Amino acid sequence: MWWILGLVLLIMKLIIVISVLFGFAAYMVLVERKLLGRFQIRYGPNRVGPFGLLQPLADGIKLIIKEDFVPRTADRLVFLTAPAVVAAVPLVITAVIPFSDDLTIGGTRIPMVITDLNIGMLFVLALASLAVYGIALGGWASNSKYSLLGAIRGSAQLISYELSMGLSLVPVVMLAGSFSLVDIVNAQERLPFILVQPVSFVIFLISAMAESNRIPFDLPESENELIGGFHTEYSGMRFGLFFVGEYVSMIVLGALTAVFFLGGWRGPILPSLFWFLLKTMLIPLFFIWTRATLPRLRYDQLMHLGWKFLLPVALVNIVVTGGVMLFMGW
Amino acid sequence: MAKEKSVLRDLLDDVMGLADSYAVTLKHLFRKPITEQYPDFKRLLPARSRGRIILTRDPEGEERCVACYLCSAVCPTDCISIEGAERKDGRRYPLWFRINFARCIYCGMCEEACPTLAIQLTPDFEFSKYGVLDFLYEKEDLLVDHQGKNADYDYYRHAGVSVEGDKGEHINEKPPVDVKSNLP
Amino acid sequence: MPRLVIDDLEIEVPKGTKVIDAAERLGIMIPRFCYHEALGAVGACRMCAVKFIQGPFKGIQMSCMIDAQDGMIVSTTDQEAVDFRKRVIEWLMINHPHDCPVCDEGGQCLLQDETVSSGHARRRYPGKKRTYRNQYLGPFIAHEMNRCIHCYRCSRYYQEFSGYRDLGPLQIGNRLYFGRFKEGRLESPYSGNLVDICPTGVYTDIPARYKVRRWDLQRSPSVCIHCALGCNTIGNAHYRAVMRVEARMNPYVNGYFLCDEGRFGFSYTNGGADHAQRPWTSKIGGADVTVEAALAESSSKLSEIAAVYGPEAIVALGSARNSLETQSMLSRLCRRKGWLGPVWFTDTAVYRKVRSAVERLDSGIAVSMREIEFADFVIIAGADLLNEAPMAAIAVRQASRKNAQIVVIDPRPISLPFEFRHVPAVPGQIERCLGSLVKGSISKEELKGLDSAAKGFCKALPAKFGDKESGISIPELADQLMASRRPVIVCGTGIVSESTPALAADCAQLLRESGKKAGLFYILPGASSFSSALLSGPDAKGFAEILSEIEQGSIKALIAAESDPFRDFPDRERLDKALSQLDLLVAIDYLPTETVKRASVFLPSSTVFEMNSTFVNPEGRVQHAERVHAGGVPIWGAHPPRIVRNFIPGGDHQPAWEILWKISAETSVLESVLTLGELIAAEMPAFEATGKAQYPVNQARIIPEKSEGSFVKPKTRPEQGQKPKGFNLLLTDRIFASREPSVYADTLEGVFPEPALFMHSEDAAAAGLSDGDTVSVGLEPGSIEVKLSVSERMARGVLILPRQKGIEWQRMKDFSAWIALERIRKI
Ligand code: SF4
Ligand code: SF4
Ligand code: SF4
Ligand code: SF4
Ligand code: FES
Repeated sequence: MWWILGLVLLIMKLIIVISVLFGFAAYMVLVERKLLGRFQIRYGPNRVGPFGLLQPLADGIKLIIKEDFVPRTADRLVFLTAPAVVAAVPLVITAVIPFSDDLTIGGTRIPMVITDLNIGMLFVLALASLAVYGIALGGWASNSKYSLLGAIRGSAQLISYELSMGLSLVPVVMLAGSFSLVDIVNAQERLPFILVQPVSFVIFLISAMAESNRIPFDLPESENELIGGFHTEYSGMRFGLFFVGEYVSMIVLGALTAVFFLGGWRGPILPSLFWFLLKTMLIPLFFIWTRATLPRLRYDQLMHLGWKFLLPVALVNIVVTGGVMLFMGW
Repeated sequence: MAKEKSVLRDLLDDVMGLADSYAVTLKHLFRKPITEQYPDFKRLLPARSRGRIILTRDPEGEERCVACYLCSAVCPTDCISIEGAERKDGRRYPLWFRINFARCIYCGMCEEACPTLAIQLTPDFEFSKYGVLDFLYEKEDLLVDHQGKNADYDYYRHAGVSVEGDKGEHINEKPPVDVKSNLP
Repeated sequence: MPRLVIDDLEIEVPKGTKVIDAAERLGIMIPRFCYHEALGAVGACRMCAVKFIQGPFKGIQMSCMIDAQDGMIVSTTDQEAVDFRKRVIEWLMINHPHDCPVCDEGGQCLLQDETVSSGHARRRYPGKKRTYRNQYLGPFIAHEMNRCIHCYRCSRYYQEFSGYRDLGPLQIGNRLYFGRFKEGRLESPYSGNLVDICPTGVYTDIPARYKVRRWDLQRSPSVCIHCALGCNTIGNAHYRAVMRVEARMNPYVNGYFLCDEGRFGFSYTNGGADHAQRPWTSKIGGADVTVEAALAESSSKLSEIAAVYGPEAIVALGSARNSLETQSMLSRLCRRKGWLGPVWFTDTAVYRKVRSAVERLDSGIAVSMREIEFADFVIIAGADLLNEAPMAAIAVRQASRKNAQIVVIDPRPISLPFEFRHVPAVPGQIERCLGSLVKGSISKEELKGLDSAAKGFCKALPAKFGDKESGISIPELADQLMASRRPVIVCGTGIVSESTPALAADCAQLLRESGKKAGLFYILPGASSFSSALLSGPDAKGFAEILSEIEQGSIKALIAAESDPFRDFPDRERLDKALSQLDLLVAIDYLPTETVKRASVFLPSSTVFEMNSTFVNPEGRVQHAERVHAGGVPIWGAHPPRIVRNFIPGGDHQPAWEILWKISAETSVLESVLTLGELIAAEMPAFEATGKAQYPVNQARIIPEKSEGSFVKPKTRPEQGQKPKGFNLLLTDRIFASREPSVYADTLEGVFPEPALFMHSEDAAAAGLSDGDTVSVGLEPGSIEVKLSVSERMARGVLILPRQKGIEWQRMKDFSAWIALERIRKI
């Protein structure tokens, strides 16, 4: 009977996590538009519902009822599946993220993570790089030069930043002594890693921005050169999926940052779920702030930053961390 | 060592630069938006702003347009069509005058070209319709009952053609030459 | 050949060339108002000032007044000259009414252009402007005198060039006025040129009044088809209507000018002011159908008839307003399909005259209108130039201005805008009169030098012509002809006998062989009569024969390609009966003719403005008219509809040749003939010279080096047989009112002359009639009622009846009639 209960619990967790995630993604869009508005001394959307709160709904309806257009020369199957890949990958990542302290109901401890994988971090890194498949395939299948250019940029950018992202997490693993995300959170009981590893944190943050194709790293879709980049030919809900994928991955990256550097759900007084959500939201908000602040990088600057700055710094950081650990005898 | 130092300084400069920009945007976040909430609030536009076009009348109440075709000639989008005609009293006027507002770009060249100050752009810019044909404005739609921006001008008082009355009655004219007279 | 330098460019020009023209040859357009190549220089406007730096003149001079001379160095851009011209513009503008927005000249105005280019933009003179009252000048020309800059072009053109006196300068100095002494319609039938010639907007044309600006017009070079001369025009169209026809300079044909019929007679192509008069849509049995249906109907009916009764049961009519392309197609189809025809003229005699005229033209003797201007003796035999070929009269006037003697041998009460000697001979006597005049001009020595054929011909010419009545001394004229160096014979093909065109050619030939540079010019009856004569063989059936075959029932179908026998044939009743016996009457036309109304199938064809077409003028000059616009029902006159559609209303018309080819279902035409050029060359051997597949041909002359005929023995006495009693009723043409497209042009309606019957005053007195009486001319059956106009300046024993609207001359039964005196009654 245990396994049935476990299954039910799992499904419940899945449903809750996915719907919360989508809800967050939808409102993330609104928050972004609102905030950008204020950053630019405007109001942002305020027509649909009070304070424009129903705007995500209106956008959703609009996207769904729009014509789903497939270019005549496109590779139909790939074209149609690519957006799903982009949207699905960040969802899957959430499977290993612990979002609260364990819950104890009637003496049964229910772990507040969908599944505590002991190689959780590797899983995360592997999936994060999968997202680029959606972009690359979508861009290629569109059979349009803008899409293709966008897709190629996407792949190149991802390869470059994946490396520094992975390396920036090595000290975290070294400190926590485990790949499991739950263990990593637990390892921050005393001090969040952001204080121990500020360099790692910065590198991770920059790489995360680049992974999620956000300004100033939105070269794959830079609209003033490539119209829409990889999603130029997409319309309706398929375009919507790219969109959702971007925002979900932003939130997931926020959650990962919280887990890796901010001590996860840990926090004083307030319930752990609250702390987790709060920490998770910090990163997307920072991304939005960045979008309002920085201009897009030039392509050479992007490569320069990734290979010639972040990568060496991350390597040095690992060596230094290792040295310190050896020296301190941890 | 000197080099090392300058690299660090550069880095510091860069970081400070970044921080500065973040600070600026952050400051903006707490400013009051300057947006005017159109259509709840409608700003009064200057009289010379360029929106929907009208055909005005002269101070006598006659339509000013004399169908000279200058506006249609100058219009960069070719959206004005006119047919000139002669009224019974000899006055030149447009039999029909059509502006295709679906093509008009509100550049105001027509107004600039018009020698009689008939065609004028108004501040009315709220101009959208469901059918393209509804954008075809005919003379009846364009002609208004006032002088627009130029209250006093009457082309016919200056030009040497006469519609009613004799020659030589307009501004700055001598009475007509009597060709059958020998008197100087 | 003086050589001079203008603006650092050197040029050599013929002696007598003005500096302004020399500059124009270099591509330097010196501003001018009063100077015009056709009118010469008067130096009235001072606009053409240039600076003479070296040579016989120094300083600022008028370039239009000074002949180019060796060693001149001229600058048009010298600051002094530029300033001078700027001042000139400023004072010319002192009295200008500043009314360009309501002036139709705006956009094509020399004064406007030169004011703008001189940089004058602001009036500095504070004084008042001089004003004038305007005049009514008729239905063609509007007058707005305030715009005048006193360049005298109008009066020089009107009085000196075209020879009319009723418009000219009045008053002096600053009060100078150009107009008529009394308001009223301009007498000249060439008044439209005032619009072109006036550099300002004093004269503007009324048909296009206020309707259009020059920059909106679709313009193409075209050719006038209102008479045979083929004057060069520019068609101007806007909003699917032809708005205006302008003269196009062709030094060999019309020079800079046009007659009013050609200039203002275009409205047939627009269907008149209400656009309803032109048949725009195809019809079967009077009901509107699509073109495809009408084409299918006619082609299936035609093949049915050909299958049942044989191809000879089908006859094709063409006309003298068909384009060359249509004529070639018609002749091709008739030959290929075995149809009868094509028949070009309802009057077979006219056809024979045209043929003999065309056969006798060769490049040694045929002259262009330009060459007529340089003649020193012009004999006009059996032609009423003003009414039959208006611009030819202007050409002869230029000769007359150079002191040429002009002799007109014609029974009609001819009036022409120059001095001439009129010999009012009846048609039967024209030949004798011409012959005796020419014979008298051959001196004994010259006669000796002639070859035997010419000598024989000369001897056979009648020696004397009774000239008591006219009071004109033929021998005196013959002496003048003898003294002339460049005589030209202008010969009509209308009222003259069938042998006259050949005789005129022989006379011209004789004059040439006697050592003169003699020329010959025929007045033909329609824009493309020349080419029709090149086409069909000598055994072509006449229209009368065709008609009797229809009556016998052997002809079942008739194709009328831009042809209207109802108008041309003098026996309407018979025609009416005969045509109702037909199984099929296919009419292809752009005019609302009677034939179109009665057709069982009607197909709309394109006018000259709506297609590329070619016409050959009477001197054998091939002229191409380009399509001006696509045609269709004009948008003029009312609000254009607010609908979106993807077709042109009334845009169904196509060139007649195309329709013919489609209804013939003839594929073999295209098998062996690929292009229009090849079609024309295949049908008309004369075109082989211009290159077989060349199309379009423009301005080439297709007359042979040496003509085929030579010296036919002339008739020496009047026609034998008993002379019918009474008056010879002659049908003639009249300007504006008689020729085919013109009669359907409502723009000309205002100037249609009142229908009249002309009679010699003594004949009228003998019959107890006087000028202005309404008379009834009894025909059998029925009669024609018309106003009588008597004249002393015409032949006795003839009645002249111009065919025109308002006279039902189609009751005459035949092309000429003898009317007994009793049958002319006053009512
Ligand atoms: S505003 Fe400009 S585009 Fe519009 S009608 Fe006038 S000239 Fe044409
Ligand atoms: S420019 Fe003025 S006067 Fe001329 S047609 Fe246009 S509106 Fe009429
Ligand atoms: S009316 Fe015209 S052509 Fe005649 S003098 Fe005046 S400006 Fe010249
Ligand atoms: S003279 Fe004849 S061809 Fe010339 S413009 Fe007049 S009608 Fe036309
Ligand atoms: S053109 Fe020479 S004075 Fe007028």
